[in-house]
Amino acid sequence: MKLKNINWTWIITGTLGVQFACTAFAAEDGDIELLKKQIQELDQKVRILEREREIDQDGAAAAAKAAPKLTLGGNGFSFASADSNYVAQLHGVVQFDSRTFFHDGGLNGNDGFLIRRARPILSGTFYHDFDYMFVPDFGGSTVQIQDAYVNYRYNPALQLEVGKFKSPIGLEQLQADANTTFNERSIVTDLVPNRDLGVELHGDVLDGRASYAVGVFNGAPDYNGTSTNQSFQDYKALVGRVFFQPWKNSTVDAVRGLGFGVAGSYEADHPTGITGLTPGYTTDGQQKFFTYSSGSTANGTHWRVSPQAYYYYGPFGLLAEYAISDQRVSKNGATASISNDAWELTGSWLLTGEDATYTGVTPLHPFDPRSNQWGAWQVVARFGELSVDDAAFTKGFASSSASANKAQAWSVGLDWFLNKNLRANVSYSHTVFSGYNGATSGISQPENVLFSRLQLAF
Amino acid sequence: MKTLFNLALVALLAVSASAKEVKLLNVSYDPTRELYQEYNAAFIKYWKTKTGDDVTVAQSHGGSGKQAQSVINSLDADVVTLALAYDIDAIAQVHKLPADWQKKLPNNSTPYTSTIVFLVRKGNPKGIKDWDDVVKPGVSVVVASPKTSGGARWAYLAAWAYALETKGHDEAAAREFITKLYKNVPVLDSGARGSTITFAQHEIGDVLLAWENEAHLVLKEFGADKFEIVTPSISVLAEPPVAVVEKYARKHGNAEVAKAYLEYLYSDEGQDIAGKNFYRPRNEKAAAKYASQFASLKLVTVDQEFGGWQAAQAKHFADGGIFDQIFQP
Repeated sequence: MKLKNINWTWIITGTLGVQFACTAFAAEDGDIELLKKQIQELDQKVRILEREREIDQDGAAAAAKAAPKLTLGGNGFSFASADSNYVAQLHGVVQFDSRTFFHDGGLNGNDGFLIRRARPILSGTFYHDFDYMFVPDFGGSTVQIQDAYVNYRYNPALQLEVGKFKSPIGLEQLQADANTTFNERSIVTDLVPNRDLGVELHGDVLDGRASYAVGVFNGAPDYNGTSTNQSFQDYKALVGRVFFQPWKNSTVDAVRGLGFGVAGSYEADHPTGITGLTPGYTTDGQQKFFTYSSGSTANGTHWRVSPQAYYYYGPFGLLAEYAISDQRVSKNGATASISNDAWELTGSWLLTGEDATYTGVTPLHPFDPRSNQWGAWQVVARFGELSVDDAAFTKGFASSSASANKAQAWSVGLDWFLNKNLRANVSYSHTVFSGYNGATSGISQPENVLFSRLQLAF
Repeated sequence: MKTLFNLALVALLAVSASAKEVKLLNVSYDPTRELYQEYNAAFIKYWKTKTGDDVTVAQSHGGSGKQAQSVINSLDADVVTLALAYDIDAIAQVHKLPADWQKKLPNNSTPYTSTIVFLVRKGNPKGIKDWDDVVKPGVSVVVASPKTSGGARWAYLAAWAYALETKGHDEAAAREFITKLYKNVPVLDSGARGSTITFAQHEIGDVLLAWENEAHLVLKEFGADKFEIVTPSISVLAEPPVAVVEKYARKHGNAEVAKAYLEYLYSDEGQDIAGKNFYRPRNEKAAAKYASQFASLKLVTVDQEFGGWQAAQAKHFADGGIFDQIFQP
């Protein structure tokens, strides 16, 4: 029988009753003293047992607190030690897309369905101060390691990240893949690096009102879409970014969502012999509209500057960025600095009352038709433009029969957030090209693409 | 442009000149709740006057050994004020504070001392006068587990020291003595406050082996008509140490205020508060003021009698040590 099931009051009462009944017939003083002693002893035993039970219960409660925690929710699976010193989390992003091209001059093979991203995400913490993330991607034709890094948090203002992760330049590039407004990032992303390998010091200061990142990386080319950069030359890229949200903690709603900053990179001397150039600039429909011609190589400094800002106020969101990428290029003895630039402006409006943020949308009323709840709906629009330096063509580094020197794209779309984890969206993108005089390429006429996506992120 | 610059400069100065809000966490052992409640109020006032900054101090209390383990397991304490140096040494071993932490403050970083006394029920029905009476058959003794409680380790060592002193430093006799003592213990709490509750609230046992300050607190809280303090002929000089947990204090940006918090314990006000709460002050002025409330007795030190805390811990309290051998729950 368990201790807790014993009713000690009844035991004592019963015992005392028997003892007192006996005393009725035992009037001797000595007997009474003996009984008193026995009662005291019994009383002590009961008290001790009760106290032991209390201590056991306290111990059980303490043990429960010390037990590892397993949680499952909208943010995935999480396993954590009781003191949160060790945490392992399993997240994931799967994006199932379709692209349909219109008026594409009869080109075949560009319409279809695709798994754009299929990424299990393993992240967590060990020894309290060390975070890690490992993100393979099974979308596309090859398996890639997107992120693999360790981050040491001395405090929020001083953190050191080592491994492969996003180079801190492009504002939209730094936005999580699951939270971007359209299926594909804007044309500005062509001029900033994707992931890179390196070491970065970063942190949030002034109560989160400012953040900084400065790092040394291998030096990824513009839009290294494959994100498998490996570079063994002696010169590395210095990358830095500062971003301010001066009124982040303000009580004034109208200014709280304003953020602005600037980022840049500088790579001193890219040696001849290693291409080091962008694999190409691509449209929203992922068609290449500019590539350097065969024999062109990076040869000298490569720098970028990108002023950037966003503003979120209630259901309204606005994201703007500009980037210039300047690189010394050589071919057949000719050398020149090629300076390409791009800008974009993206606006969004949530129709269902939620607040727009850089870090995604959480529906106020998750999709549940039985309760007449339909999730969150958002309309989005974007304009972007990328201009290639004329010198790229006049110096012979690129050919106008293969590449355009400018692309301008506008896009509109509708996003439907069924709940925090599931999202569907559809958008239409129209891109026009300048300076191309070839005949057979997909860029010989404007690009018109209808996108759709079903996304699961947790 | 110059005007803009000046405005920015003024704004910057205004921000830097504004008062900061500082949050400290003091992880302490069981019976110090009342001491640090009073001391925190005094320090907050002192620091506000000195710097203009607003400090709030959170307190965490429990068995000293358990508290140390919590800090080792990343409880973000800015300061620790524990029952014995061994527990802070354990934190230093995982590099959360420097190995020479005891040199950072006067008196080996022990701003006050205490000892172990007996608390008995009014009238002392079992006639307990010294340690020999505690080990007699039929005497029920309340004390916490020395595996988790700093106070219980001090009590164990006090009893061991008495046995050595009175039995010709015969280790076997001391071991037999301590075995008898723990045979008389009906229930082991994990901390000193728990054993006080067992004795005072649950009315279990004939004698509580208590911190001196805790015994006085029981008289104050429960009434001198219910309990009385018996001072043994020999006990141990308990030196509860304090230290800044530099790793966490730096992380929180609290290194300066954490250091000041502990240094203020040595001030006249800090020492007076210690005396008022029945800790023996280091400061002569406060010691003299409160001398009458402390009985005089022979106090042995852990260094002299046991070769220091590391040796004492390894021999008596480590897994498989003498306590594990003699105590049968």
